[in-house]
Amino acid sequence: MKILTFVKQILDSEAKISLKEDKRSLNFEERFSLNFFDEFAIEEAVRIKEKISNCEVVAISLGSKKAQEVLRTAIAMGADKAVLIETERYEILDPSYTAKVLSAFAQREGFHMIICGERAMDDENGVTGALVGGYLKIPYVGSVVRLEIEGEGKAVAESEINGSFCLYEVTLPAVFSVRKGINEPRVPSVTGVMKAMKMKIPVLEVSSLSPPTSKTQIESYDFPEKRPQVKIIEGATPEEKVKKLITLLREEAKVI
Amino acid sequence: MDFKLTEEQEFFRKTIKETVDRMIVPKAREIDEKDEFPWDLWREFAKLGYLGLRYPVEIGGMNADKIMCMIFYEEITRGSVGFAQSVIMNILMGTYFIYRFGSESIKERCLYPAMRGEKIATICFTEDQSGSDLAATRTRVTKDGNGWRINGTKMWITNGPICDFCTVLATVDPSLGLKGLNFFLVEKGTPGFSSGQILHKLGCRGTVTGELIFDNVWVPDENFLGEELGKGVQYVGEILDEVRLMTGAMALGLARAAYEEGLEFARKRVAFGQPIGKFQLIREKFAEMDALMNAARLLVYYGAWLLENGKDARVIAAEAKMFATEVCLKVVDEVTRIYGANAFAYEYNPQRYFRDARFLLYGGGTHEVLKDFIGRSIIGKL
Repeated sequence: MKILTFVKQILDSEAKISLKEDKRSLNFEERFSLNFFDEFAIEEAVRIKEKISNCEVVAISLGSKKAQEVLRTAIAMGADKAVLIETERYEILDPSYTAKVLSAFAQREGFHMIICGERAMDDENGVTGALVGGYLKIPYVGSVVRLEIEGEGKAVAESEINGSFCLYEVTLPAVFSVRKGINEPRVPSVTGVMKAMKMKIPVLEVSSLSPPTSKTQIESYDFPEKRPQVKIIEGATPEEKVKKLITLLREEAKVI
Repeated sequence: MDFKLTEEQEFFRKTIKETVDRMIVPKAREIDEKDEFPWDLWREFAKLGYLGLRYPVEIGGMNADKIMCMIFYEEITRGSVGFAQSVIMNILMGTYFIYRFGSESIKERCLYPAMRGEKIATICFTEDQSGSDLAATRTRVTKDGNGWRINGTKMWITNGPICDFCTVLATVDPSLGLKGLNFFLVEKGTPGFSSGQILHKLGCRGTVTGELIFDNVWVPDENFLGEELGKGVQYVGEILDEVRLMTGAMALGLARAAYEEGLEFARKRVAFGQPIGKFQLIREKFAEMDALMNAARLLVYYGAWLLENGKDARVIAAEAKMFATEVCLKVVDEVTRIYGANAFAYEYNPQRYFRDARFLLYGGGTHEVLKDFIGRSIIGKL
């Protein structure tokens, strides 16, 4: 069995970001991390590998050279191989572009399962897994919180949708996007860390996978509007405070 | 000149940082408050394999270079000084002489289990009347048949009350001073070997520190750790620089923990209608702390680079230990000022950092001793 897992390097949530003058691109501090949801995907792939014999986990990332870091994390957690599909730019890529490239790679590499995180924390699109399933014309199950291999070429996946659960029997090959709660990602052991440190990660040029032209492009970024300052209403009693509040809502905010 | 970490070292830093953030940081306050050895965390952490950090891969270690060792010491201390102290004791001082001189059967009994976290190791230098002044060691060892008899009491022993084995510094004759000192292995359960008073410390809590008593303890010849008698101090010299740099790296880790918390506080805490980070006097504190921490980091990692490349690191290691620890004391102090009265409450972390920083003053040489050594080395014999 061969499991592919897609991992994405995203800007760390604490990295400082500012807009460039053209407002279409960003200046950012070089602080990156592995997409939170992809940790669950790696862990799930590795757990399946540990349960069945003859199973290989391959982690793939579409990103800049720096993205090798997240692939090393996948190796440290237990993936057997990693491949970087290199693109020069770090920016939010059109999900259909990403999905096309990853599908082309998956087709070339061969696989029985693809496991990915349900969404990336930077663009929050959450469609790459589904698009890959579509492009490859294979089943896709999203929001997976339990995943089991059942006999030859079958898997059972449980999805969580609006607080209820849906059970799928899926014929492999298939794509699964997993969400928080499916497992507890492991802390890499020294053996894994050493393997990851030494591993030479193959790099593929994105051009070798016939990337399509992006269907969307970023017109501009903007900051959310600044929230008005909080006004604390003073008053000796709750009644007095409420009276003042009503006056302000009526006369200043003009909402009542 | 190249100040960059290699890609491997960078990856190691990121991984150990994330490990510390997940496993240790959330338990640091509890470790300090309970002041008990955190057995569960110890077992969980040991499973990852870091306790073999500096030993060869062939015996189950990681064969980390000196830069990686410093990264490890810094990061784990950023999580909890108390836990770090116990871990580092197993990794470095508690096992070094056994790795270096122990027979295969001793290694099977002590070193390999310690690398797996199944046994707790320690080293015994200090006595009630001797610390930096090793020549004043009074624990006595005498030849007895095909073994050695040890008598004395050691104090301030990290992991002492819970250790499974210890490396003991003892003298064959106090009048020989430094030339009389030798190391011996004593294992738990050896008749006459016991634990005495447990010390209640201001900081570095969670590490159990105390007294070890050697009352007519007999150990076989195999337990003499050395090639020839009287070379104990020379053997100490083999790891002294690493111990000093390690303490400097620990100071950096603790300073960072305090600094990062202070920074978050300065950005969020509002006074006089604006975040206090907008006030120039608070900015000045960060400017000074940042500059000092950068300088300390350069010194510690330069020392590690010297060691890794087989160069003389004696003066730089002493300077790094002294400077980084003083920087750490300055940073934890400034952070308590940034926190204001909240820093005085046990509910917030700065008081813990403030207490823990004091601990780093003593190990690896007091600063008075280090300054004297550095000064002597610079001026030379007159």
